[in-house]
Amino acid sequence: MVKKIGYAAEYITLVTAVLVFWVIMDKQGQLNPVIMPPPEKVWNTFVSLVEKGTLRTNLLVSLGRVLNGYLLAAVLGIVLGIFIGLSKHLDRLTGLVIQIVKPIPPIAWIPLVILWFGIGESGKVFLIFLGGFFTILINVVDGIRQTDDKLIEVSKSMETPFLKHIFLVVIPSAAPNIFTGLRTGLSSCWMCVVAAELVSSTTGLGYLIINARQFGQTDKVIIGMLTIGLVGKVMDSLLKLVEKLTIRWN
Amino acid sequence: MSENASNNAYISVSNISKTFERKGERVKALDDVSFTVDKGNIVCIVGASGCGKSTLLRAIAGLDPVHEGTVTIDGKEVTRPQKTRGVVFQEHRLFPWMTVEKNIGFALGGRSGDEKRDIIKRNIELVGLSGFERSYPKQLSGGMAQRAGIARALANDPDVLLLDEPFGALDTFTKIAMQNELKRIQNQSGTTMIMVTHDIDEAVYLSDKVIVLSSRPGKIKRTVSVDLPVPRNRNSYEFLQIRKLIYDEFFTDETGARIEYEI
Repeated sequence: MVKKIGYAAEYITLVTAVLVFWVIMDKQGQLNPVIMPPPEKVWNTFVSLVEKGTLRTNLLVSLGRVLNGYLLAAVLGIVLGIFIGLSKHLDRLTGLVIQIVKPIPPIAWIPLVILWFGIGESGKVFLIFLGGFFTILINVVDGIRQTDDKLIEVSKSMETPFLKHIFLVVIPSAAPNIFTGLRTGLSSCWMCVVAAELVSSTTGLGYLIINARQFGQTDKVIIGMLTIGLVGKVMDSLLKLVEKLTIRWN
Repeated sequence: MSENASNNAYISVSNISKTFERKGERVKALDDVSFTVDKGNIVCIVGASGCGKSTLLRAIAGLDPVHEGTVTIDGKEVTRPQKTRGVVFQEHRLFPWMTVEKNIGFALGGRSGDEKRDIIKRNIELVGLSGFERSYPKQLSGGMAQRAGIARALANDPDVLLLDEPFGALDTFTKIAMQNELKRIQNQSGTTMIMVTHDIDEAVYLSDKVIVLSSRPGKIKRTVSVDLPVPRNRNSYEFLQIRKLIYDEFFTDETGARIEYEI
């Protein structure tokens, strides 16, 4: 119990230190409020945004987009990853394209995305999808390919039918990598939300930040940033829990 | 000194040769190996590390189809791995994501649930793992995991069990217990077994016939029949005589003097 309290204290130490530092800097008049707003101003704006429902609305819009893009990235990433991981031919066929497209940041896609998808929802979802897809794909491919040859041999020696081999040997063996991909993919999707909402949005956390920037409302910018960070963290923790429940053998 | 493969033998290994390509160099791993195994017998293949004994076992298992010569079991040539030949490897090779019972039941497709449960239960009892049905492999000790691996291979009721140094990684006490267990299982099931080992005592204790393999290339040096009654006494005169016979195949220097060694 004492140990647990100790761990919890360690966990929040840095966050507390940053907050305290911020308050002290403000009290000593070291902060230029245009560049860095005082803590209580951020808090008050936060309360008013919550009361007006602005934060909730924008959060839900962004959350919807992220979930759409992420689910698409997860499903396609896992399915394609399994195929590519299993087939050397498919790996060679797709390898070059994947390696060239992967490093292109989603923000660079914006001009084309506007032309291709217009300024509606689908373009935003596509950008978020791009953010998560490659991370998930590459982790899945790696996981599939790292299946222990010795276990494959065991499965072979028992004449395991192909689909049974894939679902009971290859995929469980890749499960830890698949989860790593899913978790990093999720945070990549959240990273892309602001870029996606640069495309003529009137809603969303990204829009909230961009809009606040135009009016010099740094307090709103900070609230938008922290909201993305916190929601991303909560979703990652949920995924971690799912991982723990799924991979019970470790 | 190879035997001619007779047609009435249960397993017949005929003229197996295998050459590996390593850094442009051709290494002959097996050179014209032939022997036979009768139904219900245990045959051990003994040799030093790297003599090609595992390669030979893989050829019999059908896991390594590229070699010269043929292996036939009950008149049928081995060309690929089959359920009818169970394989136990040096490492337990259990699927880490499956419990002991799931591992043992892995290859029991096409059977009814009741029948499957029966087979799993019987094999778990056979290897003395009752109470560990729901454990994951990482929760087991080395010896227990190896026993689960043997149970998995036996669950399919194979005609032939192939064992590749299955007790090599175990401590002496566990090893001897496992040897007794294997002997008991064999008495009960009547499964024909071929086991690869570098442990001469183990070979003499378990086998009806010991095949001594030389190194580089792996060639049969000598075949020793072990006609000792079961259970065998590891310290009886006859046992030690046979042990010495095999031992002398490995540990003689040019002057003929034996080199001391410990097991």
